[in-house]
Amino acid sequence: MSAVILQAVNGISLAALLFLLASGFTLTFGLMRVVNMAYGAYYLLGGYVGYSIARRTGSFELAMLGGGLTIVVIGFFVDRFLIRPLGANHLAQVLLTVGVAFVIGEVCLAIWGGDNLKVLTPPYLRGAMELPGGLYYPKYRFALILFGTFAAVALWLMYHKTQIGAVVRAGVDDREMVNATGINVDRLFALVSALASFLAGMAGVVGGAFLTLNPGAEWDILVLALVVVIIGGLGSLEGAILGSIIVGLLDAYGRWLLPEFSYFVLFGPMAILLLFRATGIFGKEH
Amino acid sequence: MTLAIEIDRLSKVFGGLRAVDNASLVVASGERRVLIGPNGAGKTTLFNCIAGTLRPTSGRVLLFGDDISALPENKRTARGMGRTFQISNVFTDLTVLENLMLSIVGTDARKWIMYRPLSSFAAERAQALDGLARVGLGDRAAELVKFLSYGERRQLELALALNVNPKVLLLDEPCAGLSPSERQRFSQLIAALPREITLIMIEHDIDIALALADRVTVLHHGKIILDGTPGDVQTNALVREVYFGRA
Amino acid sequence: MRLGLIAAGLALVAAMPLLAGEFWVILLSQIMIFGLLALSADLLLGNAGLFSLCHAAFFAVAAYTTGLLHVRYGATTALAAPAGILAGTLLSFVFAFAVRTRGVYFILITLAFGYIVWGVAYRWASFTGGDNGVTNVPFPAIGGYRVANATQYYYVVLITVVLCGLAYRLLVTSPFGLTLRGIKSSESRMRSLGYDVGRHLYVAFVLSGLLASIAGVLYVYYNRFINPVAASFPVSVEAVLMAIVGGSGTILGPFLGSGIILILRNWVSGFFHYYTAVLGIVFIVTVLWAPQGIMGLVARWRAGDRGEGA
Repeated sequence: MSAVILQAVNGISLAALLFLLASGFTLTFGLMRVVNMAYGAYYLLGGYVGYSIARRTGSFELAMLGGGLTIVVIGFFVDRFLIRPLGANHLAQVLLTVGVAFVIGEVCLAIWGGDNLKVLTPPYLRGAMELPGGLYYPKYRFALILFGTFAAVALWLMYHKTQIGAVVRAGVDDREMVNATGINVDRLFALVSALASFLAGMAGVVGGAFLTLNPGAEWDILVLALVVVIIGGLGSLEGAILGSIIVGLLDAYGRWLLPEFSYFVLFGPMAILLLFRATGIFGKEH
Repeated sequence: MTLAIEIDRLSKVFGGLRAVDNASLVVASGERRVLIGPNGAGKTTLFNCIAGTLRPTSGRVLLFGDDISALPENKRTARGMGRTFQISNVFTDLTVLENLMLSIVGTDARKWIMYRPLSSFAAERAQALDGLARVGLGDRAAELVKFLSYGERRQLELALALNVNPKVLLLDEPCAGLSPSERQRFSQLIAALPREITLIMIEHDIDIALALADRVTVLHHGKIILDGTPGDVQTNALVREVYFGRA
Repeated sequence: MRLGLIAAGLALVAAMPLLAGEFWVILLSQIMIFGLLALSADLLLGNAGLFSLCHAAFFAVAAYTTGLLHVRYGATTALAAPAGILAGTLLSFVFAFAVRTRGVYFILITLAFGYIVWGVAYRWASFTGGDNGVTNVPFPAIGGYRVANATQYYYVVLITVVLCGLAYRLLVTSPFGLTLRGIKSSESRMRSLGYDVGRHLYVAFVLSGLLASIAGVLYVYYNRFINPVAASFPVSVEAVLMAIVGGSGTILGPFLGSGIILILRNWVSGFFHYYTAVLGIVFIVTVLWAPQGIMGLVARWRAGDRGEGA
């Protein structure tokens, strides 16, 4: 029984991480109709930058900030000069951003090499803590759950309760309409894009403290994030929250119960869901 | 008298909007029925429900006595329903001839043939050229549709619908956006269609409508407010009010 | 003129082993095999407008099936080769349900499907050999005669690919081929003309899976080794890139693209360790500046020559 709970906590902590990545991806698609397959590479690069910063300064917080900001800068250039000329052509977006991911991946390989690296966890989060029921669990992963929840609540509040959020929601619903109301759509896009980039880079640092950073990790995490948005529905924040939890739990239990077929456990429900609802749980027809 | 189309208390609701509100009408076989009404009256939505592009929220559609309400669009075409779109929906990346070929084999097993090139289908090709000639596009067969003018695309739009061998033809503003001479030609073409085909047409131009129609149905805010002969419609005060404001 | 050029090209390719060394024979075999994989992906992309990212899955399943049958069960080519093609095609029957979605969802679902197969190949090590893969796959034996070397196998590949190319040509010029292009052009119109769009796309997907499976079987005999990398995402996405670089919607395009990408890889990785970055740049450059690929550039040049409009 305690193993079941243990896996559930594992799943939820992974869900927290996935949410950070998936929320940016889904909002970017919902608002800007952009499929950006470089998000995994953003995660990896942000993570590596954070790793280096943490080693130099010993500060995890600085690492998170540095990782996030690095990707904000890179993301800006990629968006502006590479993605924007493509318009709404999803095929082109996918191919181009895969190319960007390849380039970023190789740059990371050149700078940080091929070994598995881990970001230094902050001293106050090292070690294990005792959960009710006599279980011991890594403090860090528990903190991650709290952090993820906080991020989800903050994003949700921003999205549903603020002026800017209302404009973004309107834009996700009907972009032309928002344009017509005179709101500077370009700036709105840049803002959301920057936020998504920051989340991705920061997620790399956060994730890099308990999952390893290594060549290939960018695709592993991207696929999970994509399943999250497929299940949850592209463009939906609630979908990202729900999808993250589902995928996190499926991954944890799948690895525990059927390690050889864990991808099957992960993707099977997604495939079945799509047979019945082609746009995910909360997605809209486009 | 056989009923080609029967619509029984059909409604289509989009969120808060009742685009079609409890509409009932019957169209006899061979009849020429024209649907008129101001913009936003629900005419195209009604068409879409009949053709199967949309599923009605409630109510039934019957084709020659059979309830086709649950049938998907392509199956309705197979049963003899053809339609044109208000905004030309033609295959712009293909040639004019290829467009017609698709129309001809659409309801036919020949569309599954994978082992013979299209160029070997002489009979179908002749049929396609004939269909093009009927609408006046005979000399444009090899042209890519994207190079066709607006008027020519409307002609192609009509040809596509005609070549599925329809028993019931739904024309959604076939003359929209055409020049006066093109409109003349089109309405003559439509008037010359054989009586084996039942015609239901949405038309904005009152003159064309009244000239072609056996019966006229007037829609307003999704409801049918009048169903009668052209003469009835011309003299009806409510219709005048709807179209021209309070007289 | 066109036919003459193609015939000359084929003659050249057929004579290649006599003109060039074994290095080129092996490289050209590889180019043809991956060109066929790219062609299979383009059957969906260039004709039906569906961007599939799981074709490496059919490729790998076919290769693994044939390889395992030979190595672990001592099967003959007469059994192993068709079994491989069948296995890959059966998988495509399952994955074809992806056609219930469109656009972005279709791309993402096929991506995930591809990952399932890679994951199984990688983690079900007890059956697939995991990372180590399946080694010592023999050359095929055709009609009692066992292929003895790379040059002989080159001709096996060439003949198979030419036959597949001819069949492909028949398919895309047939009525069925036209229906796919109609779907790509206007799905709504196709529905109103009586077509069951879902069914047509399903069939197209399975046919493309069949072609990818043939490529997979050709591959395992060429490489004599198979591991999970063959099922990975980069293989699927490269196949699509090859089709686009060469010219999507044409028959030669995928093979030209395969040639360009593989020759580039061979050349660059000789002096630059980070070849994948170069590949990434090719992706970016192609998408931004040459989305119609080589065949598209050729077509534009020829149209320009004759003074025709774009």
